[in-house]
Amino acid sequence: MTWSLFANNLPYLLVGAFPQGPLGGAALTLVLAVCSALASAVLGLAGGIALAMAGRIARVPLLLVIGFFRAIPVLMLIFWTYFLLPMVFHVDVPGLATVVCALSLIGGAYLAHSVHAGIRAVGDGQWQAGLSLGLTRMQALRYVLLPQAMRIMAPSFVNQWVSLVKDTSLAYIVGVGELSFVATQVSNRLMVYPAQIFLFVGFMYLVLCTALDRIATYALTRRKRIVQPLTPATTQALSGD
Amino acid sequence: MQAWLAPKYLTWLRQGFGVTVGLALTVALAATVAGLVLAIARHARYGWLRRATAAYVLVFRNTPLLVQLFFWYFGAATLMPDALMQWLNTPHGVQLGAYALRWPSFEFVAGWVGLTCYTAAFIAEEFQAGLRGVPAGQHAAAAALGLTPLQAFRYVVLPQAVRISLPPLFGQYMNLVKNSSLTMAIGLAELSYASRQVETETFKTFEAFGVATVLYIAAVALIEAVSHTLAHARERSFARR
Repeated sequence: MTWSLFANNLPYLLVGAFPQGPLGGAALTLVLAVCSALASAVLGLAGGIALAMAGRIARVPLLLVIGFFRAIPVLMLIFWTYFLLPMVFHVDVPGLATVVCALSLIGGAYLAHSVHAGIRAVGDGQWQAGLSLGLTRMQALRYVLLPQAMRIMAPSFVNQWVSLVKDTSLAYIVGVGELSFVATQVSNRLMVYPAQIFLFVGFMYLVLCTALDRIATYALTRRKRIVQPLTPATTQALSGD
Repeated sequence: MQAWLAPKYLTWLRQGFGVTVGLALTVALAATVAGLVLAIARHARYGWLRRATAAYVLVFRNTPLLVQLFFWYFGAATLMPDALMQWLNTPHGVQLGAYALRWPSFEFVAGWVGLTCYTAAFIAEEFQAGLRGVPAGQHAAAAALGLTPLQAFRYVVLPQAVRISLPPLFGQYMNLVKNSSLTMAIGLAELSYASRQVETETFKTFEAFGVATVLYIAAVALIEAVSHTLAHARERSFARR
């Protein structure tokens, strides 16, 4: 009997009311996670590069902003974006967008430090080597530092993405119908098996996070050839000036 | 119309902050002990114990805290025997000298259990990294000096491991303060809950969320300061030797 209840509710947990209504459930969790993963990676790269390139004085406001996002709970930031975004843009911003915005800001702030640390870990020698070859600072960063730093920062990116998948559950608070929200709906409707439902939903998250962890780690840290032939873009950049 | 929040609402926020601090402190204490036990169990002689702790850490790290809290709050209540639930829900006075401790609500108990289990998994990883950071030569040296395995662990390995894992441990305490905001989803009246309540009653969103944000930042900054002071005090004490 339990199983038939589960089987009946499984599609709702997976995709929400999808064909008839809006996308929800685990599928929406995935969409949320992918959107904020991409945005946070871009923000984190930009922030980390800015930290690495900024002078002593320009770094202070940057560090303060990043520190702010790292110090407040995700939930608090979701409240802020939920309240501020519509005020700033004067349009009705869906809960989905506010959550993606909050998650990517927090993820970006965490990643900025990892990117900065990764660039620093490559070492001053590489900077100097790049500059003495006649590259500009931007070129040295792009063609010498970042490719090496990428390998160092890969684990932090994977960690951040995994915690991002978990944090998408906070969209529950502003009523976005992702997996946790749908789970409470099902639980409230059935009234009888809350423990089993939340165990099952937890298991879904577990599979999602573990799979992401394994796949991303494999994809990002797979042994590449150490000496790569110069790509046309690099050759062009090197002979460009 | 008043420009600032009325005293009544400030009291709400103060009480909310009190709950956040109380929750974070008690969880930090329990999770540190549990994390240490888990980390030691990861090095146990019995394979099943090692595998069980590894599974625990994997499961609790890779599922969202929100789902875990829902499980403890909605789910665990149905799994527990009725007598235990009744015992939990009826107040018990705990008299400690002149102080009378109030019996916590079930929300607090569920939140406490959820946060402790979650944080313990992360702290176990930090301790484990610390234990792994102690060179194998230290074990061998302690054994060569005639210490029993227990003595070697207590007097040689553990002090070094704790020193390595102290900074990330404080990072986990900061995460704990931030994660405690999620307990508002199960109705525990902590800081985020209070700020949201103040906001819905007064419509002074900036003030309500602003106070909560500042308090969170203050708490995190305080932990950072303690961590910094501890690290420096230790350096000084080593310099004296």
